[in-house]
Amino acid sequence: MIRLMILLVALVWGAAALAQDGPLRLTITDGNIEPLPFAVPQFQAENADATKVAADLTRLVAQDLTGSGLFREIPTSSYISQHSSFTQSVAYADWRAINAQALITGAATVSGNQLTVKFRLYDVFSGTEMGGGLQFSGTVDGWRRMAHKVADAAYSRITGEGGYFDSRVVFVSESGPKNNRQKRLAIMDYDGANLQFLTNSAALVLAPRFSPTGDRVLYTSFESGFPRINVLDVATVGQRQLTTAQGEMAFSPRFSRDGRQVIYSLSNGGNTDIYRTDLATGQNARLTQAPSIETAPSLSPDGTQIVFESDRSGTQQLYIMSTDGGNPRRISFGDGRYGTPVWSPRGDLVAFTKQNAGRFHIGVMRTDGTEERLLTSSFLDEGPTWSPNGRVLMFMRETQGAAGTSSLYSVDISGRNLRPVATTGGASDPSWGPLQP
Amino acid sequence: MQSPGTYISAVGHAGLIGWLILGWGFSADPLDFEVTEVSVVTGAEYAALVASTTPQPSVDAPALPVAPVTEPAPPTPDVVEPPVIANQPAPAQPPAQETPPPEQPSPPEPPADLAEEAPSLTAPEQTVAPELNSSERPRPRPAPRIAPQPVAPPAPDTSIDDIVRDAVVPDAVAPAEVLEEPSEATAPQEAATEVTTDAQVTSGAVTSSARPRTRPNRPAPQTTTASSDNVAPEPDNTAQDTAVADALAEALAAASSAPQGPPLTGSETEGFRLAVNRCWNVDLGSEASRVQVTVEFSLNRDGTVNGGVRQVAANGGSNTAIEAAFQAARRAILRCGARGYQLPADKYDQWKQVEITFDPSGMQFR
Repeated sequence: MIRLMILLVALVWGAAALAQDGPLRLTITDGNIEPLPFAVPQFQAENADATKVAADLTRLVAQDLTGSGLFREIPTSSYISQHSSFTQSVAYADWRAINAQALITGAATVSGNQLTVKFRLYDVFSGTEMGGGLQFSGTVDGWRRMAHKVADAAYSRITGEGGYFDSRVVFVSESGPKNNRQKRLAIMDYDGANLQFLTNSAALVLAPRFSPTGDRVLYTSFESGFPRINVLDVATVGQRQLTTAQGEMAFSPRFSRDGRQVIYSLSNGGNTDIYRTDLATGQNARLTQAPSIETAPSLSPDGTQIVFESDRSGTQQLYIMSTDGGNPRRISFGDGRYGTPVWSPRGDLVAFTKQNAGRFHIGVMRTDGTEERLLTSSFLDEGPTWSPNGRVLMFMRETQGAAGTSSLYSVDISGRNLRPVATTGGASDPSWGPLQP
Repeated sequence: MQSPGTYISAVGHAGLIGWLILGWGFSADPLDFEVTEVSVVTGAEYAALVASTTPQPSVDAPALPVAPVTEPAPPTPDVVEPPVIANQPAPAQPPAQETPPPEQPSPPEPPADLAEEAPSLTAPEQTVAPELNSSERPRPRPAPRIAPQPVAPPAPDTSIDDIVRDAVVPDAVAPAEVLEEPSEATAPQEAATEVTTDAQVTSGAVTSSARPRTRPNRPAPQTTTASSDNVAPEPDNTAQDTAVADALAEALAAASSAPQGPPLTGSETEGFRLAVNRCWNVDLGSEASRVQVTVEFSLNRDGTVNGGVRQVAANGGSNTAIEAAFQAARRAILRCGARGYQLPADKYDQWKQVEITFDPSGMQFR
């Protein structure tokens, strides 16, 4: 009897096993690479004074998102539902019908010189709000920053990554012909707005670099005839020079991740090596000892490693060493010459300039040198800098010929969305600062 | 003593035989032949004749043909040879052999402005002489039973005909209404499109078999000292019964929870996969593009998503990246399923629960 029952159990189990076990299982490996469609009805002006700024805010939020290349705005002419009130419930079916995946609503209030902006973000197809509502307050003049903040919040909630719209870029503004070019430091919003000059054109300036908090700028000045490193306070435009011995040339500086130290190149007696200086104490440390040229150091986000360029192998290549200068190892092995390496804020990639076969490229590779990808190609592309979220690279592109001009471009690290950055006149040596508080 | 009749008979027979041999049997009278005169043509006439029958007339006319003398064809009463054939020169070779081989087409001169690449020539087909050392396998003779269309074997009591015709049986209920005369069912003769030899027909006989397993050794019986006080107790089967009943109930439950009905076909599954795939957007520059995430969800009978989409597993990135990858998968399922996925309703049990793995690892920076 027992054996019969065991046999019966086995038969039932066998039959159950023969049938499909559990849910229908599928694997999808080939997705689409398309911008996410979103709708942003004009922000509601909660009083008459806010009418214009509400419209401006709406347009700038849309520009930020579409300019990233990751989003596509659905034209307002396609809207079925006009979201006229910030507090009204969302008619999800109407937005689904026009294939809007995200809906951004907002409202603006102007009280004297004070501007208040509120916004909400909705996931249309799940019919839910993504995160809670946000409100920003500031002066009316700062409406662009508030629009960038709204766009950053939407970008971050949808992509899961930090935004980069409310950030600034310091760069070298250029004017005049190539043989007599005037250069001075300038700072602007990431999209070219709010341009301000930090230095005059009396002395040649090169390679400005933002501090991690964006409050200071390091740059190389030829004010004394020799390259020297200056530290400039962005708020006060006050500056001071790093102490270097007579006859030494210091250039290519970068802040450490804590902003307390500077790593840079020092050329003395025909040999160029990498040094570190403590800004508070002025204490120096030599990190490389090779007779070759070592320059362009860039720290990893965790502050434990430095990527730099060196010609110790005979050609200009990229190397990584520890912060104290130990254990150097080469990471670039492709054809051509590699320079100006910059460690990604995410820590996973190194951006660089590559010169090969008469062309310049901006590229990225993993920190072990694998997966090298060239994102651009032109007569002269140089000096990449990372967006705060490690997603976009900005660089200088110069056109050929005596009348050639230099300008700034940005490109997504996927190689898509290459676009010029609006600047007044020529521009070079960009350094992308952090998100503003 | 012979009778006079015998003599008369002998003389008569001898006379008859002698007449047959010497008289009628060797009669020289000519038979009734139809005689046709054979005329001799001149060389010029022959040349003109050849010119009209051969594609390439030779300028030099062959030598004056002479009527065959050595082997004259015996005149046959019923055959009338035309004069032309009779006057054909005996060693005449077939004109095709005399015709020179077609000349190779001269390559067209390349245009002056195309000096880099000469135009390709289409070479005339060349006949490859068969190799002497090899011979073609003789072709099998066409089998008489090969038909252009296979025909199933007819019913046993069906007569062979070219037309398929159902048997007509008189209706017993309404015999008066039957207008057709009863006839036998017909069908074409059984035929196949291939000849199958006996060697090709699998016999179904077992060609190999596994060696039967050896029986496990029977455990040695335990020797117990039998005593009246130590009688082996009856095995207590209560616990075993309970365990078996539990296992049976569990198995039945599992069987009842398994989806019933026929499984989805490959095209149905693929169609569903493509429907979700269409809405799955991957941000290649993001960390989420390195995350493999598995989600599960329920579907209503109309193909719409029932409830939410749940994350089952994920690997390959930070928590933030995993969350972004999950959100992209969730949006894909909800967006493309807004109007309901097209799935067969009669197989609802097969797809009411779905688990999808989104793996973008193969699309890195394509």
